[in-house]
Amino acid sequence: MNKKNKRNYSSWTQIAKKELKNNKLDKLFSKTPDGIEIKPLYTINDLKKLDHINSYPGMEPYIRGPKATMYPNRPWTIRQYAGFSTAEESNKFYKDNIKSGQTGLSVAFDLATHRGYDSDHPKVLGDVGKAGVAIDTVDDMKILFNGIPLEKMSVSMTMNGAVLPVLANFIVAGEEQGVAQNKLSGTIQNDILKEFMVRNTYIYPPEPSMRIVSDIIEYTSKHMPKFNSISISGYHMQEAGSTTAQELAFTLADGVEYVKCALSKGLKVDEFAPRLSFFFAIGIDFFMEIAKLRGARLLWHKLMKQFKPKDPRSSILRTHCQTSGASLTEQDPYNNVVRTTIEAMASVLGGTQSLHTNSFDEALALPTPFSARIARNTQLILAEETGINKTIDPFGGSFFIEKLTDDLVKEAEKMINEINKMGGMTKAVEKGYPKLKIEEAATLKQARIDNADEVVVGVNKYPPDTKEKVDILNIDNTKVRKEQIAKLSKIRKKRNSKKVLASLEALTNAAKKEPNKTNLLKYTIDAARNRASVGEISDALETVFTRHRAIIRSVSGVYKSAFEGKEGLKDIKIQIKKFVSKFGRRPRMLVVKLGQDGHDRGAKIIATSFADIGFDVDIGPLFQTPDEAAKQALESDVHVIGVSSQAAGHKTLVPELLKSLKKQGNKDILVVCGGVIPPQDYKFLKDKGVAAIYGPGTNIPKAADDIIQLIEKKKNIAA
Amino acid sequence: MIENLYKKILLSDRLALSKAITLIESTKVKDKNKSSKLIKKLYKKSGKSLRIGVSGPPGVGKSTFIESLGIFLTNKKNKVAVLAVDPSSKKSGGSILGDKTRMQELSVKKNAFIRPSPSGGELGGVARRTRESMVLVEAAGYEVILIETVGVGQSETEVAEMVDIFLVLLQPSSGDELQGIKKGIIEIADILVVNKEDEFENEVKQTVSDYKNALSIIKKENNSFTTKVVKCSALNRTGIGDIWKIIQDFKSLGNKKGWIKEKRTKQLEKWMWDDLQKNLFENIRNNKKLVSEFNKLKKKLAKNAISPTEASKKILQHYTKNNKS
Repeated sequence: MNKKNKRNYSSWTQIAKKELKNNKLDKLFSKTPDGIEIKPLYTINDLKKLDHINSYPGMEPYIRGPKATMYPNRPWTIRQYAGFSTAEESNKFYKDNIKSGQTGLSVAFDLATHRGYDSDHPKVLGDVGKAGVAIDTVDDMKILFNGIPLEKMSVSMTMNGAVLPVLANFIVAGEEQGVAQNKLSGTIQNDILKEFMVRNTYIYPPEPSMRIVSDIIEYTSKHMPKFNSISISGYHMQEAGSTTAQELAFTLADGVEYVKCALSKGLKVDEFAPRLSFFFAIGIDFFMEIAKLRGARLLWHKLMKQFKPKDPRSSILRTHCQTSGASLTEQDPYNNVVRTTIEAMASVLGGTQSLHTNSFDEALALPTPFSARIARNTQLILAEETGINKTIDPFGGSFFIEKLTDDLVKEAEKMINEINKMGGMTKAVEKGYPKLKIEEAATLKQARIDNADEVVVGVNKYPPDTKEKVDILNIDNTKVRKEQIAKLSKIRKKRNSKKVLASLEALTNAAKKEPNKTNLLKYTIDAARNRASVGEISDALETVFTRHRAIIRSVSGVYKSAFEGKEGLKDIKIQIKKFVSKFGRRPRMLVVKLGQDGHDRGAKIIATSFADIGFDVDIGPLFQTPDEAAKQALESDVHVIGVSSQAAGHKTLVPELLKSLKKQGNKDILVVCGGVIPPQDYKFLKDKGVAAIYGPGTNIPKAADDIIQLIEKKKNIAA
Repeated sequence: MIENLYKKILLSDRLALSKAITLIESTKVKDKNKSSKLIKKLYKKSGKSLRIGVSGPPGVGKSTFIESLGIFLTNKKNKVAVLAVDPSSKKSGGSILGDKTRMQELSVKKNAFIRPSPSGGELGGVARRTRESMVLVEAAGYEVILIETVGVGQSETEVAEMVDIFLVLLQPSSGDELQGIKKGIIEIADILVVNKEDEFENEVKQTVSDYKNALSIIKKENNSFTTKVVKCSALNRTGIGDIWKIIQDFKSLGNKKGWIKEKRTKQLEKWMWDDLQKNLFENIRNNKKLVSEFNKLKKKLAKNAISPTEASKKILQHYTKNNKS
């Protein structure tokens, strides 16, 4: 072998430079949004300082998998998240899915239930049966699992706000099916901290909310050994636009906080820690996501050491994963099948315990039976055709993945230290720190997509010539609400109201007691048995705990900063200047979210980027009613209201808003909508008077330009 | 249009009031003429409210406090208007007007009117617009006006000079540092409110006594209100009733001893001079006849041939000469 061909990094550099002609190797290096450097080549040198390299699955530090035998012994659980309209409809859907090969259930609840309102509450007019199933009492829960043996089927429930009544209803439904509590298996999400960061489906302030979390951990650890007391979730953070390191860091920091909380309740770490489970989003950043799941196990093991567990299971991270909804696009929707497949592969290569694959139409609406079948089959093909499950941790030892895992863990550790300095996650959440960090990351991401630094095929590059029409599932929300209200009033007549009142009073009294002296779930189960409703139980606690009022902060200047040195905002700035000289003020927009839909990432990004572009932007509070939004718009005399909708309430709430504007005498204010709105509804909304609709993937400067023109047009007609 | 707005504002029409404020805020000359007509008509109908300024460092809980006080008042059937100024970005000119989000409960009350306004880039613009907006909401029958400032630089003093009573909110602090707050602001405050007693009970007590001590050293003018120091929790709405009582005392005492009238007279005078200053400046700056002169002077300045003071004197000379002829 001559000297020139010696196999080392510097010789490779020489050859590579020659190939590049201009000698600039630098351009092959890049940085992730977290600032992690991605190199064009990784070698054995990158593994030198990594301690975790020579390890085994089922053994410390568990980077290669929580179990020794992993998929070769038992593949991951195919667990599709679903639920819509009434319990009857969802039950039918679940049974069909089980027949077609699904192995676990995952229940989505509607927003009214999440926020602890009964279906007949005036605040939830547009929310009942949307984005999940409506549950008012035990009887709904029994219908939901009718004919599904709860001692066999593991059930995951996404519930955080109204976690007490929903879990109690589940327990009583099992009881009345003849299944003892200790036979019930599954998971309750019960992760309230992230609700204050991203999803906003909380009810009470952070402190009493944390008490509820620890009561559930305590109760399940004593009575429900097969049930995961919590699913500590990063999913919603990534969906809201967080970076990968943020998702990892904030989720594990949440986990540590829950452990501390349960310990303060007097539990021993090994009594509950083995039943803590996790939930991550898997996005399109393929290698990074594999690294994240491996890194999460490594880091959790390390973090749990401080609590000195004796049971090894206490420091093993087990997780559910879901492919990213935010990576799906409305444009060219069949591309989403491909995206989901790639994300599903990353989840499995990262070693997830269970998986939900999204349907390709989820950027538009709830899945149809057709799209749900493709989503499920994606996993079945992976599990049964590819041979992916024959070897454990196939990326173990990969120069790149191992180094990336290490880089990511280090980045996350920095953030966790930051949170520790603030006194832990509850304190950080109260300060709004993680929420603001995530919003900053989300705004930057939007800016990268708007100026095409980040490619989204079919959106900002290679747009399709023709628009594909996709069949979607439509929920008649008014009908669902009527049915629920009818059921509810029947139960209210039938039940023993004395007993109901007594059990609700007992619950209120328990809430008044010292947290360590009582368990709220115990009292909630009694109330549920007596047919107290989700809303009544939530109210009984609210009288003591109060309802949380969020303080909303927004970032500014972040969006603009991504355009520094670029032309992207030049035209729109000229437009605005012209507008100001013509109308004597800047275009002014009120950004609102209506109803109980708390997904506010879209609204926040719109607000901050429009302000950065040069609009005056008012932000409405969360959970606003149409009347309230109309009053605010009128007092601020805005030109336009932008309604951000993620949870399908638009067909009820937007027409209400238009009506309310008219009623309050305002004819000049334009209404535009954005978010997840199926194209099938566009005509309906436009007929009602909506001026424009902007779907996911809308370029913000373009939308701003469009809105300015719409305002001018309206002014010209008025004048 | 003006006649219509005038009539409707007197009937307390929300939409008309809102549109009129927009007119006042407009940078168009045509709108400015209209709005000054409107103000002229409505001026005599104004002046009947109690004007309360609320200031304090960012994060101290101004909006939460205003919401709590506002709800307290609307529950007593008072009509309350909130005028809040949010900073506009220097670079983009846009702004986020988030205050309503922090006054979630107050904003839905029938007896409340909340109007956040962008500060805009215009020099002295905030003061003029706020004063005129006050005239409008008073004419529309609002009994209490709460003015929130963004707490940047000079705006606190500006607001203090247009209200009857000036409240400064303070963070509780531990120990002896009187954090971040400028001495000048304490001097113009009528009530110092130490917020967040829900979270920092002991620190709040300590801070209250610290400020009481500090105030005993600062001499206020004779025949004026002795600055009070109180505590509250804007979040849990404790101490709000006490603060309102102090405000009421201030009002009745002030009316008896004539401070409020005196203050308002001074303020009107200030308003007049401010307005003159602004108009005169605009008049000179936008004077087409002087443009060539400006350019000459600019060139001289660049060459260091003339000092800025000399240059400004020259401009004034030209202007007076020009106006004589």
